[in-house]
Amino acid sequence: METSAYIRTENVRKVYNPGRPDEMTALDDVSITVDRGAVTVIKGPSGSGKTSLLSVIGCMSRPTAGRVFVDGKDVVKLPERFLTGVRRKKFGFIFQQYHLIRNLNTLDNILLPLYPTNMMPPEMKRRALAVMAKLSLSGKQHSRAKNLSGGEQQRVAIARALINDPAVIIADEPTAHLDRGLAAEFMRILASLCGEGRTVLIATHDPFIYGHDLVGKTIAMRDGRIEEER
Amino acid sequence: MIKHLKIIDYALASLLRRKFKSLAIITAFTVVVTALASILLFTGALKKEAELVLAGAPDLIVQRTAGGRHDLIPAAYADKIREIPGIGMVIPRYWGYYYDPLTEANYTILGTDGKAERLELLEGRLPERDGECAVGAGIAEMQRTVGGGELILVDSSNTGVLYEVVGVFRAASSLLTNDLIVLTDNEVIRFFGLPSGKATDISVQVYNREELQTAAAKVKRMLPDTRPITRTELVRTYEMVFNWRSGMLLTVFSAAVIAFCILAWDKATGISADEKREIGILKAVGWDTSDVLALKFWEGLIIALTAFLLGTIAGFVHIFFFNAFLLAPVIKGWSVVFPDFHLAPHLDPYLVFTLGFLTVAPYVASTVIPAWKTAVTDPETIMRG
Repeated sequence: METSAYIRTENVRKVYNPGRPDEMTALDDVSITVDRGAVTVIKGPSGSGKTSLLSVIGCMSRPTAGRVFVDGKDVVKLPERFLTGVRRKKFGFIFQQYHLIRNLNTLDNILLPLYPTNMMPPEMKRRALAVMAKLSLSGKQHSRAKNLSGGEQQRVAIARALINDPAVIIADEPTAHLDRGLAAEFMRILASLCGEGRTVLIATHDPFIYGHDLVGKTIAMRDGRIEEER
Repeated sequence: MIKHLKIIDYALASLLRRKFKSLAIITAFTVVVTALASILLFTGALKKEAELVLAGAPDLIVQRTAGGRHDLIPAAYADKIREIPGIGMVIPRYWGYYYDPLTEANYTILGTDGKAERLELLEGRLPERDGECAVGAGIAEMQRTVGGGELILVDSSNTGVLYEVVGVFRAASSLLTNDLIVLTDNEVIRFFGLPSGKATDISVQVYNREELQTAAAKVKRMLPDTRPITRTELVRTYEMVFNWRSGMLLTVFSAAVIAFCILAWDKATGISADEKREIGILKAVGWDTSDVLALKFWEGLIIALTAFLLGTIAGFVHIFFFNAFLLAPVIKGWSVVFPDFHLAPHLDPYLVFTLGFLTVAPYVASTVIPAWKTAVTDPETIMRG
């Protein structure tokens, strides 16, 4: 397995509401590497800055200072429209709350990333059905997101993250709402994604995940700083 | 192209997902557009009718005034007016208003010497003998008569007179002939009991239209007890009346429009938490700011265009197929006592464009601008709330 760094951060700092009474430093001097094709876990208690770091790496927000390299390119200074392109082509996100559109059906939720592309609708559907089959979601395409179980919602979120065939899967507290059985199912899915050569970055405080054999690197965070990397 | 078609498809699906909200906005918007379209179409159609009427009006009408009021004019004045250089045909006219208690409507009775050139939109012919008449379409409808039928009127001596209908007007402008009854000049004089040698007014043809004001001034100098009225003055009076009435209605109605704009602005600016979250999700999964704005643009345009089309069609049907029953009492004013007349369907492209610009553009803007505020924010910030 190739283990060169696919993502690298240098002295990243993220401050929310700078200059205001409620100013809060979420990340302070964070420098990490995420290896290509491996599972990297960022662990730490709530408020330690895990989600902020995922957002900065995933081009969902810009750091206040520091640099972020994705596949060798510094993405911090990229204009908004290029940043969107990076987000769409390189990353697939699985959010803690899944962030599905509740009134949309499963198929349309999965197709969301493909709407602002020039892919023809039949090809979009073919690709979505293939991903759904892989995640045991066949037969659920017309079910509305709000009517799905927690495990099903998570698999829809994974399917949506995979539809663009991204190089990196970013998952934020993916097992927070799952029982142990479903968490094990999630890890099996991750194993298959790694088998396809994808890079996986997970933020969690669930020992079941960061103690899992699949994890190649664990980064511990506390109060916005890196506490340990091994 | 494919990308934009898919965004339009998503916009449609998005509106359908919020169908009750979308329907409520379309309904309110349609009512506003219908009312606006009705006022503008009605005023426009009346002006058009007036233009047609006035296109056939004499260059100059000479009335006699007594005590500031219109009075009968000596027919002999016509001979004096003919002496003025540049004056063409001069015809004393005999006409008056007649109230029919049976149908509770006012008719206009006009005399003819049988040679009137401008009454060509006639099925049948003009009266040539006493006891004959030609009537407007409105009167034929109210009196349930047709060419070859009969019409009974009560003259100034309270005696019923039977007329044979020899012609029915089918004018392009029903305003011109709708309430009209044409009798011979002699019959009009007898019917109204006009004094011998007196006419209602005198119509005057002026060869050079540029000299109209000069001719009017000469008539006034020669006959100081008269009031010459040029066609331009008539056109101006009509326009002022219609503009004033539509302006008054628009002023009253503007309160409703403003209320709707506030509602639309509130709806748009107050993007709900769900809508904000949706924008955040779309951005997180790879939608660009311009994609989100395109989505909101199409959502706004679909709603606004639907309401605009429905409202314009409803306004058109209201005005031209249901006789503007909601607006007629206000805009037509005193003319409600005349027989109902049907406005000729007429749609001015400039008016449609103006209506579209005044309704569609503000709504789309009030949808896109607030969404832009959310769409330029980092997806993480939006989803954090």
